[in-house]
Amino acid sequence: MQIEVLLTGIGGQGVQLCAKALAMAATADGRQAMLSARYGGEMRGGQTEASVVVADTGLRSLPILPSAGSAYVMHHQYWPPVRARLRSGAPVVLNTTVIGPPEDLDGASEFLTVGIPATAMAAEAGAPMAAGFVLLGAYASLTSVASIDSIVAAMTELVPAYRREHIQANEAAIRAGAAAIEAGAADLWVMAGR
Amino acid sequence: MTAALLQGSRAIADSAIAAGCRFFAGYPMLPFTDLLEAMSAKMPEVGGTCINADSEIEAVNMALGAGAAGARAATGSCGQGIALMQEAIAEAALNEVPMVVFNMARGQQDYWQATRGGGWGDYRTLTLAPKDVAEAVVHTQLLFHLADTYRAPVCLYGDYLVAHTHMSVDVAPIDFGPLPDKSWALDGTAGGTGHARQIWTWAMGRDDAPGPGPDVHWRRLAQKFATMGEAEARHESYRCGDAEWVVVSFGTAGPFIDYVVEELRADGQRVGSFRPVTLWPFPEAALLEAAGRARGVLVYEVNAGQMIDDVRLALRGQVPATFIGGVSIDSSGMRQGDLLTVAAIRSRVLDAIGVGAGERR
Amino acid sequence: MSNRSTEPDRGQEVRIEGARQVASSRADLQVSEDHHLCPGCGHPVAWRILLEVIQELSLAQRAIGVVGHGCYTNIVRMADIDFLQCLHGRAPAVATGVKRVQPQAAVFTLQGDGDMASEGLAEVLHAAARAEKITAIMLNNGVFGDTGGQMTAASVVGQRTKTSLEGRSPELHGYPVPVAELVASLPGAAYVARSAVNTAGGVAQTKRYLKRAFETQTSGAGFSLVEVLTMCPTGWFVPTAAGPGYLSDSMQPTYPTGPLKDSLRPA
Repeated sequence: MQIEVLLTGIGGQGVQLCAKALAMAATADGRQAMLSARYGGEMRGGQTEASVVVADTGLRSLPILPSAGSAYVMHHQYWPPVRARLRSGAPVVLNTTVIGPPEDLDGASEFLTVGIPATAMAAEAGAPMAAGFVLLGAYASLTSVASIDSIVAAMTELVPAYRREHIQANEAAIRAGAAAIEAGAADLWVMAGR
Repeated sequence: MTAALLQGSRAIADSAIAAGCRFFAGYPMLPFTDLLEAMSAKMPEVGGTCINADSEIEAVNMALGAGAAGARAATGSCGQGIALMQEAIAEAALNEVPMVVFNMARGQQDYWQATRGGGWGDYRTLTLAPKDVAEAVVHTQLLFHLADTYRAPVCLYGDYLVAHTHMSVDVAPIDFGPLPDKSWALDGTAGGTGHARQIWTWAMGRDDAPGPGPDVHWRRLAQKFATMGEAEARHESYRCGDAEWVVVSFGTAGPFIDYVVEELRADGQRVGSFRPVTLWPFPEAALLEAAGRARGVLVYEVNAGQMIDDVRLALRGQVPATFIGGVSIDSSGMRQGDLLTVAAIRSRVLDAIGVGAGERR
Repeated sequence: MSNRSTEPDRGQEVRIEGARQVASSRADLQVSEDHHLCPGCGHPVAWRILLEVIQELSLAQRAIGVVGHGCYTNIVRMADIDFLQCLHGRAPAVATGVKRVQPQAAVFTLQGDGDMASEGLAEVLHAAARAEKITAIMLNNGVFGDTGGQMTAASVVGQRTKTSLEGRSPELHGYPVPVAELVASLPGAAYVARSAVNTAGGVAQTKRYLKRAFETQTSGAGFSLVEVLTMCPTGWFVPTAAGPGYLSDSMQPTYPTGPLKDSLRPA
């Protein structure tokens, strides 16, 4: 059994970092993961997309996904190519501070959309740069793809030495996002039929 | 050891070090750069050396020197950088210095470069093309073993998807069996004993101990490469047994073809997938065995049509081969473009086997 | 060859100094008196000095030579030490790989001016900049001797070669590259000197410089380079006996001999 998530945003929002934290957390939880990234040459402002596949055993996946069962949307600019590959009814967490209410997202009615004011919540938590982690906490809590504690541990490992002072705020952001969602409301392992 | 999520480049670096690689030199060039960075981070931990060289020419010659001095040595690059290294790769083949070249290509357009090479002389370079990160981990260690077995430079043909995809992998040393000794390697200790060693493409030896000379040496090398060609061809095939159509692809395209084959089988199409794991030696006999009774062979590669030459040679005119690949590079220039997607491949396969739009699911 | 001892040389301990000095016309590490080169060539003189220095510093069982492409490549056929014959110009990079995995070895390159100044200038400069603990030796005769006397990057202004028949002209061909001075300008170079083998004094000077270069390497001080001016009467199109004089008249004004840098010297 395996689960796919497409993550999209614009460069600088931390999408790649969050995708890596999710894949590391799933691995630490004893599952297998594959992470593929696609982004432009620029570090900030361009298209950024990642995909994570998590399997309980025997992961078998392509690095460029033909379709996916969930999505994480930090920004709507590069949403159309993600939408085109999402299976109907897939849970989609989106950052409403930037995108607006879930119904504003094109094709929202085809999916199980869950809005989180991630940028606003990050600012409230005193970590305006950590909006991506708020949304990741929400995604993980909603879908049970990886445990919140493992995501916090992965984030702690990934933050470079010169940014250690952000770890506490990032953890607060992850936990705030997780708390904003009813845990397991769209448990993808259950939905996949386990 | 438990699995860790590693980027392909880091997994290859760990695997090379697990195989005993203790010298690496490279010059940054995407998508090879991450392997150089990983090597420079990991080598000091095991007392090895990683040099950020000042050109690809320097890097490959450093690896050649380290290999000649007995170390398990490697270098790498892609595209133009590999082009600059060709002279030294040929030299290592001709003077029999083992080393591993990690070619993290910007797609699949360098099949000819990898299998024909641009150096001089009668030489071949054994080249493994992994389909994903997990296979690259195994191939990396196998390459060091084969380099030492044959005293020859050998190559990994990876790409962006191998270099940059992260997977949960468990990197541990793999034992491929016994190896010939390395008493030929230079360490300086034999000087003045009458038995000093030489590594020389012309193999002329010393006045008091003449070598075989270029004629005999190069004929022996030709025989060695012929032996490698016979012994080292590797392949993977999927559902070719009763296939009417066999799709041939290499490297990271392989799993995409397998995926499409699985989908089309569900629709009742008798298709199979064949992947040369070694690009040289090309698994000719295995392909003829897998596709000899098929109606046709379809060749999918993300370039203008390079491997199809080897496919046609292998099929000896017994089965027609049709090219269904093409040039496709994404906007970064670093990786394959949209032709490497399940939808595009599926459509090309169906076109080639004559399933009309109306009959498609 | 006939009088070569079958016993392994053990450096100073088994040498019979007096007998050797009188009877032997070759260095201990030399297996043949046939140098395979032209009469009047300066290279075999430099080879012999090099082999004597290796022996006298007790480096015979630590030495690894990395040799480029030129007439001097023939040293591989007449010297009993480990050799790696490598691509044209790339010896300093190859020697870097050798030295890094055999740090106890005395690693040297032997290259010509075509090899080092023309084809491989980048390799020698970067090896020096990295302070690689190797000794680079450039035999500079100002021509491609092996291919019959064409102009190299080190040919002096006015020098007649097969590709500068009227003499090297600054307008057409620019100016020669002073390798020793370039290398000496780099902080990673610990010892740099230039000598010549066209006189008895020059031979003694060359030997002192090469010794110092190897001592620099074995002391771990950094990169060392000795540029040795040698005769090529064939490539210069002068009579054999005129070689030494031609060297001092035409080359030495452009390439002054002497030590350029010595980091081992007490301050």
